[in-house]
Amino acid sequence: TSLLREVLNNSYQLSSVPLQILFYVNGIYYIFYFLATLAMIVYKSQVFSYPDDFLAPDLALLFIMAILEGLRLYLGSKGNLTEEEAPLGLSLVITVGSVILSVYFLVWQTYVLKADVIINAILLFTYGLESVLKVIAISAFVS
Amino acid sequence: PETRAAARAQVRSGPAPITDVTKLCVCDLLVAQCDVNCCCDPDCSAAEFSLFTTCSVPTVTGDSRLCSQKAATYSLDVEANPPERVFKVIDQINPSVFCIHATNYKQALSFSSPEMPTSENFDQLLKRFGSATFSAEPDSWNKNTDAQSPSDANETYRYEYGVPIETVDAFVRLPSPVVSSWCSDANPAGFLVNQATKCTRSVSVEKCGNIQAVSMLFYINSSILAVNITVQSIVVQSLNGMRTLLDGSDVLRLPMILDELCINIVLGVSYHITYTDAGEIIEAGASFVLGAINREAHSIQQSFEISFTQVNTKPVPLSGNPGYVVGLPLRAGFRPQGYPFPVDILFAALVLNTNKYGQLTVLQSTSNQDCLAAQGARTPVLFGYNMISGCKLRITATMKCQPLTQTLLDLLKGQSFPEYVASFGNSQAQDVLDWVPITHLRTSEQVKSSCQIPVSLEIEVKWTKYGSLVNPQARIVNVTARITTTTLKQLPSGRGRTIPITNSVVFTDISSPAEPGYKAWPTINAKLPFDFFFPFV
Repeated sequence: TSLLREVLNNSYQLSSVPLQILFYVNGIYYIFYFLATLAMIVYKSQVFSYPDDFLAPDLALLFIMAILEGLRLYLGSKGNLTEEEAPLGLSLVITVGSVILSVYFLVWQTYVLKADVIINAILLFTYGLESVLKVIAISAFVS
Repeated sequence: PETRAAARAQVRSGPAPITDVTKLCVCDLLVAQCDVNCCCDPDCSAAEFSLFTTCSVPTVTGDSRLCSQKAATYSLDVEANPPERVFKVIDQINPSVFCIHATNYKQALSFSSPEMPTSENFDQLLKRFGSATFSAEPDSWNKNTDAQSPSDANETYRYEYGVPIETVDAFVRLPSPVVSSWCSDANPAGFLVNQATKCTRSVSVEKCGNIQAVSMLFYINSSILAVNITVQSIVVQSLNGMRTLLDGSDVLRLPMILDELCINIVLGVSYHITYTDAGEIIEAGASFVLGAINREAHSIQQSFEISFTQVNTKPVPLSGNPGYVVGLPLRAGFRPQGYPFPVDILFAALVLNTNKYGQLTVLQSTSNQDCLAAQGARTPVLFGYNMISGCKLRITATMKCQPLTQTLLDLLKGQSFPEYVASFGNSQAQDVLDWVPITHLRTSEQVKSSCQIPVSLEIEVKWTKYGSLVNPQARIVNVTARITTTTLKQLPSGRGRTIPITNSVVFTDISSPAEPGYKAWPTINAKLPFDFFFPFV
């Protein structure tokens, strides 16, 4: 009966379900974002004049962003599921880095197409929502 | 790395285009003139716009891949009377999702002009572009590209062949006939383009002082940027055609009415522009021919000329470059006295005179065919044109042998018969080996004793084709002047005799004919196999 009570009364469960859903959606969206940005960089290098000096930083930052994103989502998901605030806090810190990189692709890229603006805006919105939910989850874990 | 940092430090250049579309016009081809159906031409006035039928360039936009940009649209409003041009600047939106929203790379939206090779950067350019492959975007593109704009027409820009010469307000114009023979003042003079035009201008004595185009002021008013047009000489032509050179040429003579004549009308202008080899104009002069018209004259013919001379050189007209061109005069000259070895001695300046009558000339036949009356009429020898001319000499008994011989020699050879003829049309005076000496031959009919007078001078010019097969150049190899003499028989007194004197020029082509070349006969390469005689060898 105590097991049944635990299952039925999820006041013991502090993990945030919306955050987990958001992580899952974020993961799928980021795969799409990564492939789309890579394809658009290839398109820009063919259609426009894209010297190597400018192409190399853009590609490097995109791959760094992919690595950071994977790390961030793993840590966040782990922290949320194990209800520990340390990985979740680390994930929040990495989110700041990801936001900066996303702003780079929105504003400081060599060629910013309208599609770039759209997908980066969606990504930033997702980050913002995630950050809010993470803060709520951390405060729930700590207290 | 520092260039990359500089590029990053630039403010993000959004969709603002590099060029201003309101000032761009691709159909404006004629300089300072209105192009037909070109609605964006700044040289057209409203009256000219009303004559257009369509606009050949309806919109001028920047890069169409930008998401939002300014576009200048030109259209004709045919409803209005008179039709007028409508010019609007609108914002054009690109609906595609892949339009450029912003770029951080300044050279993305415009073509950068490549570097012009000069003697300083030639080695560096050769190192970069001289191999089989090179990078399309070198690092030097990150520097400021709008340092040099080609429309800067001041001293940093050199004049090139054919470019109109700029003056303070417009361009130097040489009036010329356009469709009919009437003068049109819209013909700009091109740099290094020597032109000579003649056209008709309508004048009348009543409007003497009002017609601008017959006054000297009109032609020297505009100054070529920093250089004023100076008056070099003024020749006054009277009503019967006699010309006199005036002494003081710094006085401006304007048309005025004198004794029912309008004098000081400009009949001809000859511009002389001096330029340096850097492409700058340093001096401009004009020589005028002024005339007069009376009440009956309704139109005059004006002639205009413009010629360009490089500074510190004397202009010598070439007869071909390098081979002689058919129809151009033969270039000839002398060697200064006292210089037996013309190794590095320049031929004297008197040698190559620009006057073409100082070259190799032949006697010119006149209508009355009298040798002694036609003293001095000569015509230059033109390359490729065989000529024969002559006259008749009346010999009387009182003529002495020696003076007659001398007179005839002077007649046949002219005042200054040259010693050398240039082998190429562009031979320079310093290159002595490029000049062919004239060989003199004398043939006489009989053996001495009596008086021999020259009756014929035949110049034979042997030339050959020189150079490549597809573009052979004519080169003079040999020039022979053969004088034929005849005996002067003593005449009984009172009787006279007429003998013909001839002068001829013949051009002979002594190019060696092409030899046929045959391919070698094919050989039969039959060899027995190595082991043909097997059992025995």
